[in-house]
Amino acid sequence: MANKKVNKKDIAKLLNQWRQQFTVLAPSKENGVAQMAEWDGKDTSFLDWYRNTVIPPKASFLPPMEEMFRFQKDKEGYHIELPPTNEHKQLIFGIRPCDARAMTILDMTFEEAYQDPYYLSRRKNAVLVGLGCTNPCESCFCTSMGVSPTESTNVDLMLTDIGDQFLIEVVTDKGKELIAKASGLKEATKDDEAKAKETKETSYNKITRKLDTEGIVDKLQASFDDEGFWEQTAAKCISCGICTLLCPTCYCFDINDELVRGEGTRFRSWDSCGFPVYTKMPMENPRLEKWRRVRQKVCHKFEFYPMTFNVIACTGCGRCIRLCPVNWDITQVLESVPVKTGVRK
Amino acid sequence: MEQKLRQEAKALLEQGKVDWIIGFEPGSLKFTTTPLITKDKNDADRLVINPFIVNNLADFLPEIKGRVGIVAKGCDSRSIVSLIQDNKVVREDVVILAVPCPGIIDLSKVERLVGKDRDELDDVTREGDKVIIKVNGKKKEFPVTEVLFDHCLACELPTPQEYDILLGEPRPPAPNLEVSGKDIENLKGLTPEQRWEFWGNELSRCIRCYACRNVCPACYCQRCFVEETEPQWVMPVPRWQDNLLFQIVRNIHVAGRCTDCGECERVCPVNIPLRSLTREMYDMVDELFHFKAGMDKEALPLMTHYEQEEAEDFFR
Repeated sequence: MANKKVNKKDIAKLLNQWRQQFTVLAPSKENGVAQMAEWDGKDTSFLDWYRNTVIPPKASFLPPMEEMFRFQKDKEGYHIELPPTNEHKQLIFGIRPCDARAMTILDMTFEEAYQDPYYLSRRKNAVLVGLGCTNPCESCFCTSMGVSPTESTNVDLMLTDIGDQFLIEVVTDKGKELIAKASGLKEATKDDEAKAKETKETSYNKITRKLDTEGIVDKLQASFDDEGFWEQTAAKCISCGICTLLCPTCYCFDINDELVRGEGTRFRSWDSCGFPVYTKMPMENPRLEKWRRVRQKVCHKFEFYPMTFNVIACTGCGRCIRLCPVNWDITQVLESVPVKTGVRK
Repeated sequence: MEQKLRQEAKALLEQGKVDWIIGFEPGSLKFTTTPLITKDKNDADRLVINPFIVNNLADFLPEIKGRVGIVAKGCDSRSIVSLIQDNKVVREDVVILAVPCPGIIDLSKVERLVGKDRDELDDVTREGDKVIIKVNGKKKEFPVTEVLFDHCLACELPTPQEYDILLGEPRPPAPNLEVSGKDIENLKGLTPEQRWEFWGNELSRCIRCYACRNVCPACYCQRCFVEETEPQWVMPVPRWQDNLLFQIVRNIHVAGRCTDCGECERVCPVNIPLRSLTREMYDMVDELFHFKAGMDKEALPLMTHYEQEEAEDFFR
């Protein structure tokens, strides 16, 4: 399908058309922090301020907390009541390429490794409309992670800024349907395509933070037992959950039951390998020391995930760098991993 | 001041007077610093003192084994003293490198003032009572009080009282201390119901990252009550009710230890105005018990000692 274009001032019209069918989520600061939130039908001011959200879009698929089911106990045993079925027809408008890539990375865990019904029910029914970055942050390093700030992969439609308009690339069949149902779009001209190409090149070159991941799996394997290196790396970490909970590819969750007078609810909520209780077991805690937890976080993303799924579980969104209370910087850490000969078996 | 710090830090390590130096080095982003925790005397040359030394480094003291030379602003020194009072730190094991602090720049305020994100700014420099912000090649000048952290505007102790090496001329507190700031005054004007709604809303954003707790030198418990499972005081699920309970209990637990360093609010990734709770508690402690945390290392800790003549007789 040929590319389309839309006037920036017509974005509200476009979203309202999609709103007939979907719950439209768009960048919002309404609730005091930048996140994807239900769009109000009017406000497109995010087009001016939006660079990226603090809360990653994964929250729309793996929410910070959710009810898995409710249960009652009586003489006959337990009765389980599943949450009401919801089609979760979400349209995420404005997702950045790094975060869209993160969704594909999350799919590997929630769809390939096992089938997670809660995640998948949302994921299958959602559409992602990407919006290319033209003003990336200082902390962004997506290009080093194989992601371009304007790339049209991992989304259904992709928008690129071409001045007063957005060029719309149709990426998937879902995207095709979205376009078919939208009126007021124009065909993109050769000139528009050229402008989009220029935007893409300029944006790509704006990413200045670099990370060389060549041979990172081997390097991490060889340094796994280098306690001194990990202690030094972890020294300033305060073991909070910011870098993991707000990472678009981190997916760890905790499960808790709440039982009040025979009525129970099972919750799942975000968890972090940065917390000492994450691995606490009755007799011991294999990651009681801070450096072991920091090592786990780094290796999970850059060693274990590549070994399991053949991709690094990082998209260079930079949240962990810009939100860290102590400026613990993953790019600096990975560059300081010692080069050693001999691989740990 | 920076040169003197580097020399002193190097000498302390060289002479074996300390095993560790904890200070600040340049961060990896514009206008940031990052904690430097090192045993290597050559690292001393990386130490910096500038208007962006945000962290309260006292947070690291209880976990570090050995003698430590630590860079401390006034507020940080109060946290160190408080840890000494609580027997978490031995006075003889720390060498306090005191920084007379003119206040730290709150980049969120700078962002609001010029309508740009911090990484879009060319430069932020302080010159005396002014701050000069360079955006798109143009210089804008503001009174520095417009960009200092709220807790800096309320700072009672810019220069540490307890120290071993003083790195500059002592500074008196600012003449017009803005003790609580606008946000807290506004909250005080609300009815209890309105305040309840306000905090319910604010805390609905909490993701339970525990950065507020982990960055707090007064929160040194090995095992926090939120992690207890038998009994389970708070659900580890980020519901606003549980989040509120977590903050209320945390606040009460640090009463008499909180020095109003403002770190909890600074680090919150979802912008919960936590200092509005902690500062109110700080003022209540002062009003009820005439106690200010970390001012006097000989003073007995407020909440953990008891005297015969105390008014409350329910446990006598």
